[in-house]
Order: sequence, then structure tokens, then C-alpha cells
Amino acid sequence: MSALILTTVLGIILLYLGFAKNKTLLAPVAISGLLVTVYLSLKDWGLNSTHFHNMVVFDNFSIAFNVSMIIITILIFVFGIDYYKMMDQHVAEQYALMIFALVGAYMMTSFSNLIMLFLGIEILSIPLYILAGGKKSSYRSNEASFKYFLLGSFATAFFLFGIALVYGASASFYLPEIKTYIAQFNGNLPPMLLIGLLFIILGVAFKVAAAPFHFWTPDVYEGAPTLVTAFMATVVKTAGFAAFYRLLGIGLLPLPLPLEKALWVMTGLSLLIGNLAALKQSNFKRLFAYSSIAHSGFIMLAMLSQHDSSASVLLYYTFVYSLATIPMFIIFILVKRESNGQEQISAFRGLFKEKPWIAVFATILLMSLAGIPLTAGFIAKYQVFVLSIGQGYLWISIFAIIMAIVGVYYYFFVVREIFTEGEHAKPIVVTTINASLIIICGVAVVVLGIFAWNLLV
Amino acid sequence: MILLFILLIPFITGLILLVFRNAATVRSIALASSIANLVITLSLVFSANTASYTSGLMNFTGIQLALGYDGISLIMILLTNLLFPFIILAGFKREQKQVHMLYALILLTQTALIGVFLAQNALLFYIFWELSLIPVYFILLLWGGEGREKITLKFFIYTLAGSLFLLFGIIYLYQLTPGLHTTDFSAFRQLIIPENTQIWLFWILFVAFAIKMPVFPFHTWQSSTYNMASTQGVMILAGVMTKMGIYGALRFLFPIVPLGVHFWQNTVIVLGLIGVIYASVIAFRQTNLKKLIAFSSMAHISLMAAAMFVLNYYSLQGLLFQVISHGVTIVALFYMVNLIEERTGTLDLGQMGGIKLNAPNMAILLLLVVMGSIALPLTAGFVGEFLMIAGLFQQSIWFAVVGGMTMILSAVYMLYAYQRIMLGDKKLSFEAITDIRPMEYLFLLPLIAIILVLGVYPQPIFNLMETSVSTMQYLLTPVSAVLPAVY
Repeated sequence: MSALILTTVLGIILLYLGFAKNKTLLAPVAISGLLVTVYLSLKDWGLNSTHFHNMVVFDNFSIAFNVSMIIITILIFVFGIDYYKMMDQHVAEQYALMIFALVGAYMMTSFSNLIMLFLGIEILSIPLYILAGGKKSSYRSNEASFKYFLLGSFATAFFLFGIALVYGASASFYLPEIKTYIAQFNGNLPPMLLIGLLFIILGVAFKVAAAPFHFWTPDVYEGAPTLVTAFMATVVKTAGFAAFYRLLGIGLLPLPLPLEKALWVMTGLSLLIGNLAALKQSNFKRLFAYSSIAHSGFIMLAMLSQHDSSASVLLYYTFVYSLATIPMFIIFILVKRESNGQEQISAFRGLFKEKPWIAVFATILLMSLAGIPLTAGFIAKYQVFVLSIGQGYLWISIFAIIMAIVGVYYYFFVVREIFTEGEHAKPIVVTTINASLIIICGVAVVVLGIFAWNLLV
Repeated sequence: MILLFILLIPFITGLILLVFRNAATVRSIALASSIANLVITLSLVFSANTASYTSGLMNFTGIQLALGYDGISLIMILLTNLLFPFIILAGFKREQKQVHMLYALILLTQTALIGVFLAQNALLFYIFWELSLIPVYFILLLWGGEGREKITLKFFIYTLAGSLFLLFGIIYLYQLTPGLHTTDFSAFRQLIIPENTQIWLFWILFVAFAIKMPVFPFHTWQSSTYNMASTQGVMILAGVMTKMGIYGALRFLFPIVPLGVHFWQNTVIVLGLIGVIYASVIAFRQTNLKKLIAFSSMAHISLMAAAMFVLNYYSLQGLLFQVISHGVTIVALFYMVNLIEERTGTLDLGQMGGIKLNAPNMAILLLLVVMGSIALPLTAGFVGEFLMIAGLFQQSIWFAVVGGMTMILSAVYMLYAYQRIMLGDKKLSFEAITDIRPMEYLFLLPLIAIILVLGVYPQPIFNLMETSVSTMQYLLTPVSAVLPAVY
């Protein structure tokens, strides 16, 4: 709880620092504030503290996810030091909005009441609508913001409608109570309740960009400022899946048959659409947008096959995915800068010749995303398959494996470009902080892949 | 502990190489490390006790760093560590860019290959199996020839696709193990899997190995990859990595899904024999020397795949013997191809001819290597292929007839190629061709010596695999009990 309060206060402090017109202070304050938050969160470990009439529960699950998201945000901020140097206006707001979004993310990991989930999703989303439009003069960025806002509002409306219907049927917002209410029907739900639950799931699926609610992803990822895209691809996704897991775990399990079918269809579609569409992309951000849809499919596969033991897999998968995705976006920013703002994958051309070490670590990160052994990405996928094959979902597992092969294919497009000869307009500049952080992430991905298989003990 | 040394020496040397910039130093260090590894391996071969190593450091969901070996692994490791000094030697005194990185990758490949052959745990096996692909991918991508971007990606995806099915198989087997799940081979071997499951599981597991070997119809990545690969790259691919496929099949299929093997036995033998004829015919029609050797390699490997599934004592012995002999021969052949290409500047057989007149010693050495490849008596190739064909004969006379065609057809296309390269009138442009240099003797003579000595005195290798071949036989007995009609 103290972590949540501190984070909120931190956001306000950052906003006020904006008046001081002193950009150099922002990152250190934000990062040290978040480090304190990590400590405060970990202090609550094992306490299972509840607040606001049990509307939020800070159990170990939520603390683990919160800490993982804070670490990812810190990474983004550290990378942001270099990125925001170029920007002269509204830097403080950027930091503050990301922090506010993080507050929403906390609530999404710790709710036990549908209203709290709704608040969390909204507190997460509204800063993102603004952030996506961060480049005010860019047509693309405005489009991204507007599209995200419109589609996001629709999803929210559905979500609220769903809550209303469920409340109408069960007379409660508390998930445990809703669960007992559902249980009495033995799977034959009345239509109102069923539609309500379906709408709630739809709202969350929109946030994690699971097909067929993924249509905003490529455009928004492409248009938004790259650092915001990195934030959306990592923290928002982690929060979304934590919320998904909780929603299923404390509210809906055992899943009523129609809902289960709907979720399996979503899993299959996410895997299919994400991977196949990514194959065709030449724009790096769109490639990562579609691949993030594909990763959603893998995570859902784990969650649906064996919900009870999937929490640690979920945490591991999202964390490792974030750990590889953020440095990739940073490397992309670096090469994009020196190739006249070109966003094609071919911007990576010649990276190996110019900065061999960065190229090697970029390759390790991409291999992790593709799921090649000795990287954490492999272990993440392995654990997903252990869950799904262990439950006997053989066909969808084989399907997912075929899709994983497709995944390797498009990630290695990027690898191929890195090692292809090519010239940049200007030499690539990598600051010491960026270089060391990229290396730390690369090493972390390998170390996590060899030693730490289970983050949630 | 000694196994950990064998595994880690190349890896650590590879890391050390990255700090050096002088090409000659890098190569010498790499060579020294690989020779040291060979010596340790030989000590393992001649020692009476077996070694094993299990680390408590890494022990998670089903995986454990457990190393060990039996006769089959030992042959594979002997082959790997025997060939790598030569593969490294092949780069001496040659123009190569970013030498430190190249040799680091080569040594990393060696580590991964040794890991594959030593792993006592299926998931560990899988990790090394995939790991071996990555350095090879970069060796091909960065030091390859024309069109390498497209071809390497195809190669990578093709082989990886097979491997992911293998991963599926491993996880499936992992779930079947009783109690606390594990992926140890020993636990897998004790599984009793119903026959209809084994029938589909066979292909899930086999596809990865079939692609690696490659067996018809999974071979389409091979010739273009071999053709554009650098000499060292193609030596690794043809010399050692094809054997990974054979090793994997021996490790996974026969002990774990014996009923599946029985069910698909004839199918795979027929596929192998189709591969023999198909690759031989294409090899005959090739005008590109490197592609010709690539297809000849495929023909020999196809025969090995067919012989593997005959499941009798002769063919198994022949197979394991041929693993060594094929590896040595193919490395020598590709080295020869490289020498010819360096001297003539072309791989097109139509433009070659009369090289013998300028380089008589080279012609003699090439003839010896070609003899080994054709499997002429008194060369190592003969011992292996004869045993395999004898094994095929026990299965069916027609199999033996078709299998025997390997020898005949390889004589046809190899000698025809030899004639076009070495014999005939001297071409004007080849006036300045020089004969073999001392460094090249150093490479070729030991390999040719191995081919000839093993052809005359194959017993040491047979002794080495004696126990493991009989182990395999033992593993197959339950099947014959189930299906008495087969024997």
C-alpha cells in the first residue's frame, strides 16, 4: 500500500519539478523514487495486506508483478535519460504520466473487486492516450493517440457494461462472491451473466492485445514515440496479464464452457494473426507490435492450460519478454536516429560493422525473443509448453510450436539485417549508460535462461 | 570432471580468442586447444574406466547438467575432436576477415557438439543441439559466399523447425515420466509407451534428425547451403553435424520408441535408399564440384540412414564405423575442393582439366581421397559400407541391391569428376598452377593415413563400439519379443 501511495506522490513531485525547467533532475528523482518503491513493495511480501474493504489485496502475486513492472519502468527511465535529452518541452509530464500509468498497473495486479479493476485499467489507460500522442507535431503520433483513445473507450464501455450485467445478475462487485454465485449454476449460466463475463474478458483482452482485439496495436505502436511503445509493450502487457490471471483465478475458475471456448479461440487467433502478420512487416515497430500479439498468444496458452501453476510462468515470461524488448527498442532508436528517421528493419543494416558489441547483444536479445536455448526466452516458452503438453492440449501445442518457428523466422530477419553490410548516414552514437544497460540486459537474459527459472518462489 | 574439461576447453579458449587481434596467434591458440582436447579424448578412449559428471548447480524442471558417455557417444566425440584440429588447420595461411570471431565461433560449435554427444539428459541434449546451430549460422552468414543471407536463413529455419518438434517430443516424454518428472535418458528408456502413441511420436522425434542428416525428402536446404558455405563451415556441417542426426536417432528413437521404429522401419529404409539413388544421380549431373561433393555426401548419409533402421548387428557396426570414415573422408574432400578452387578460381567442372600436369602430387592425394569416398577395398569407406550393405541384405535382398548402388554410382560420378578435374589436356589459364604446399600436406596426409589404416585395420574402432552395439541389440530385444514375425 505504501508503495502505491509513494508512486502517486512521486508522479506529482515530478510534475512540480517540471516547473523548475530543470531536466537533469527528473530522471534521478524518478529512478530513486522507484527504487524506494521496490523496497516498500518487498516489505509487504508475505503479509497479504488488504485495503479498502478488501477491494485490493497485496498478496505475493501482486507484489512480484509490481516489482517486475517497477524494474522495467526503471529500465525505461534510465534509457530515457539519453532519449529525452533531445526533447525540450514537457519532459516532466512524460515521466509523471508513466508513473501514473504504473499506479494503474498496481491496481490491476491487486484487485479483488471489479470496480478496482476498472479503475486500474482506466488509470493505466488515460496517461497512455496522452503519451501515445507525445509527439505533438507528428501526424502519426496524433493518429496513434486518437485511435488508441477511441478504441480504448469502446473497450472500456464494453467492460463497464459487462460489470453492470454481472452486478445485475449476482448483486456483487467482489470476485470471490461472483465466483460462488457462478458455481451454483454448474456451467449453465444465465445469458445475462454470461454476456457480462464475456464483456469483462473482452475489456482485458483489449489491453493485452489478444486477437481479435488487436487491431489498435500495430498503428499505435508505430505512431507512438518509441519509448512509449516500449512502455506499452512491456509494462502494460505485464499488468494486463496479471489482471487476466487474477480475474480468472479469483473470479471465474472453473471456466464455464462458452467462456473457455472463447478464450481458446482468442489464444489460437493471437498466435496465428500475430505471427503471420509479423512476417509481412518491414517496419520494425509494426513487427514488434505483431510479435507482441503473438507473445500474448503464448502467455494465454500457459494461463488457460493449467491456471494454478501458471503464475510463475506468467511472471517469468512477461519479465523476460520485457527485458529483451526494451533494449531492442532502444537499439532501434539509436540506429533510427542515424538513418534519417527511417523506421524500416533495414535501418539495422551495418550495425555489426559499426558497433560489433551492440550487435552481438542485440542478437542475444532477439534470440531470447525468438526462444532459442540458453536464453531466458527459451525457458519461458519451454515452461509454457510443459504446461500445455502436460495438460494434454497436444494439437494446440503443435500449432503453437509451428507458430514459434514462424516467430524465429521474422526475428531472424532483424538479425540478418544487423549482419548485412550497409552504411548509416551518420555514425551511431551509443552513450555509456545505454551501452552498459544493453549489455546488462543481454547478460541478464542469458543468466536468467541458465540459472533462474522460477522467479516466484 | 574430465568430461567437463572436454566440454569447456573449446568454450573458454573461444572466449579468450576474442581479445586477440593477430590472425596467426588466434589460429595457433585455437589449434593448440583443439589438439589438447583431442589428446584428452584419446586418453578417454584408451582408459579402462568410464567417466561421468553431474553438477548440482543446475537442476530445474527436468534438466540437469549431467554428462556421460557410452561407446556411441565416444565415437562421436572422437570424430568431433579429431576433425576440429583439421577444420581449424584448414584456415591457416588464408585470407579471412575477423579471424578472432571466426575461430571463437568454431570453438563454440565444438563445445556445443561435444555437449550434444555427452548429454545424459534430453533437455540438455536439446539445448546443446540448438546451441550448435547458432555459431554455425553465423559462420555461414558472415563468412559464406554468394547469396548467403537468404540461404542461411533457410538453413536456420529448416533445421530449427525440426528441432522444435523434437522439443515437443521431449516435453511430451517428460510428462510421461513417473513421479517427479525428469528428462533423463535413463528415465525415458524405462517408459512404456503404447504402440499407437509411439507411431506418431516417432515422426515428432525423427524429423529433427532427418533434417540434420539429411534424409530424403528433408534435404532441400543442403546443397545450396554447402555450396555457399566457407570451407570450414562446410567441413563442420558435413563432417560433424550430419552425425548429430545419426547420433540423435540412435539416442532417441531406438531406446524410447522401439515400436514406432518397427512400424516405420521399412518406410525409412526406402526413403534412405531413394535418397541414395536420387543424390547419386544428381551428383552425376552436377557441373559444380562443391555441389557434387554435397550430393555425394547426401548419398552416403542416406545409406547410413537406411542401414540404421535395419536393426542388426552388422549394419549397426558398419554405421558407426562409417560415421568416422565418412567424417574423415568428407573433410578431406572439401579441403581438396578448396585447394582446387584456390588454384583455378572456379568450381565449374567444365572449365577444369589437366591439373595433374602441373600438380602431380595433388592428383595422387585427390585420387586417394576419392578412393576412400568410393569405398574401395582397403579404405575405411569400404569397411563401413560393406557392413551396412551386408546388414541391408539380411533385411531384404532388394534393399542390398539398391544400397549397393551407392558404391557403384559413387564410383561413376567421383571418377568422372576426377577425370574432368585432373586429366585431359592442360588449360592455358592453368599454366601457373602450383603443387601442394607443405602446410597442405600437413592437413591431408594424416587424414589419408587414417582412411588407409582404418581400411586395413579397423579393429580398434570395432573394439570401441563393441559394448554399445551389443547394448543397442539388447535394447531392441523387447521389440522382437513383441513382434516375433520380424526376426
